[in-house]
Amino acid sequence: MGCSSSLPGRSSGRLGGLNSSESGGVPDAKNLRVKLVLLGDSGVGKSCIVLRFVRGQFDPTSKVTVGASFLSQTIALQDSTTVKFEIWDTAGQERYAALAPLYYRGAAVAVIVYDITNPDSFNKAQYWVKELQKHGSADIVMALVGNKADLHEKREVPAQDGLEYAEKQGMFFIETSAKTADNINQLFEEIGKRLPRPSSSSS
Amino acid sequence: MASSESSSSSAQSLTFYGFLDKMRNPASVDLVRSIKSFIVSFSFYSPYPENDGKRVQEFFSIFEVAIMDHQLWENSSMEEIDCSMEGLEKYVMTKLFSRTFASSPEDVKIDQEISEKIHLLQTFLRPDHLDIRPFLRNESSWLLAEKELQKINSFKAPREKLLCIMSCCKVINNLLLNASISEDHALGGADDFLPVLIYITIKANPPHLHSNLRYIQLYRRQSKLMSEAAYYFTNLVSAKSFIVDLTAESLSIDASEFEENMQAASLTNKGATVEPSLVLNPTLEEQKDVGPATALDEAEDGFGTSYPYMDAEPGELTVADVERLLSLYKDVVTKYTNLRRAP
Ligand SMILES: Nc1nc2c(ncn2[C@@H]2O[C@H](COP(=O)(O)OP(=O)(O)OP(=O)(O)O)[C@@H](O)[C@H]2O)c(=O)[nH]1
Ligand SMILES: [Mg+2]
Repeated sequence: MGCSSSLPGRSSGRLGGLNSSESGGVPDAKNLRVKLVLLGDSGVGKSCIVLRFVRGQFDPTSKVTVGASFLSQTIALQDSTTVKFEIWDTAGQERYAALAPLYYRGAAVAVIVYDITNPDSFNKAQYWVKELQKHGSADIVMALVGNKADLHEKREVPAQDGLEYAEKQGMFFIETSAKTADNINQLFEEIGKRLPRPSSSSS
Repeated sequence: MASSESSSSSAQSLTFYGFLDKMRNPASVDLVRSIKSFIVSFSFYSPYPENDGKRVQEFFSIFEVAIMDHQLWENSSMEEIDCSMEGLEKYVMTKLFSRTFASSPEDVKIDQEISEKIHLLQTFLRPDHLDIRPFLRNESSWLLAEKELQKINSFKAPREKLLCIMSCCKVINNLLLNASISEDHALGGADDFLPVLIYITIKANPPHLHSNLRYIQLYRRQSKLMSEAAYYFTNLVSAKSFIVDLTAESLSIDASEFEENMQAASLTNKGATVEPSLVLNPTLEEQKDVGPATALDEAEDGFGTSYPYMDAEPGELTVADVERLLSLYKDVVTKYTNLRRAP
């Protein structure tokens, strides 16, 4: 059990509550801040994906304790914009499924994860896609993620199936491995590129 | 996690006095007038939570714009403006507390129902019913988290109530973190966090859970109920909602065992109370303007319904009464603390 026994990065948290850039304010076309919610069956690797993503920029000088269920990480894109992802992890067990709307309300991004070795989790992912199309924000950016790509010998969901489904739904698709870190950064960079930019008509 | 805030409540009270000082300055007479007339305007309407929340939020925004152009805040940083706004929130909401907290009979009723359901659950719920992993079962951390959550009724300002939730969640996060270090487990995410929070909420059974959440949602400055604070707040909303809808299927428990336990618990409850009508306190309505409902709602109700053990002899008590006694004890202490704080 566990993504890896080594200590995850615990930087990246907000270093204080009163930083004015945190207090909402005007969205800035160059510095985006987005709420990202992670959905998917229990055990597909949601928590591991986030920890892997955030761990990459571990800052050992920070003593701030952050939980593993809310994490934030800022990335710089090529066009010199920065995107701060505020990642909301959700509990994947069935008994909590009815609570999901509380978490995805107002999210700018939904990352829906399944496990390529588990066809049921792929079905569950399609369920989440439908639910978000019905009840999520209208301009939500959705990504479909087939995780555990390192386990090719146990693969049961062909990459082609994920890709075709995602294309039909107009979402972005990628296969990742939280274990080897394969495609983890690419996932978040791609999402960053797809975010609607606030119109820069002001100044 | 909100460390700069929670660590120094004295800094915060300085902020608040800083705000009051500014309000005493002759230059702010127009602002003082607007605050006063805003507060008074609330006595012209009967409570209507959604609308009340909107009006308060609008007032906060207008006030913020006003002080940004005001001579007293000339050359102030964003942080200083923000501190003044925190002061304003605290001032206004302390004044409006009895008018806005648990102000509708429906809210009071929901509070009662949740608290009674939790009361039943407390008699038999175990961590494994929520599949909480064994290495996360840590009595002293849990007790600490419960205490943080129970403090929520000691405060009137939305910011301070929210901080109680944050502190409770912080204790849980530290527990997850320590467990991951000492037990060499991966740091758990929401799937470890949420069940523990639910369990702690049930153990703590904080009075007026629903009303507290609604109050924070409506009256905490909107720009502050974001990011991490919003996440942890949402988790408690989610815990509450889980508890409200909880049936045998929500737990890892046999359906018939669940039913039996719930029934046994409700029989014990009824047996213990002189009057079975725990449901609604009829005097609550009139007490609303006296002070926070938390402090007063049951105080004048006679001991019978609220404090069933008043006439009990030691010999009549069994181990099964301990949970209930403890929760009543906590209730009494919370109330006592509230009463002492009351102006
Ligand atoms: N081989 C392999 N294992 C993985 C990968 N990602 C996660 N796992 C393993 O899958 C298991 C579940 O991962 P989690 O991240 O806890 O799954 P989750 O989606 O967060 O599950 P819930 O929190 O219960 O909803 C762990 O044992 C991980 O070690 C991966 O990319 N490859
Ligand atoms: Mg998880």
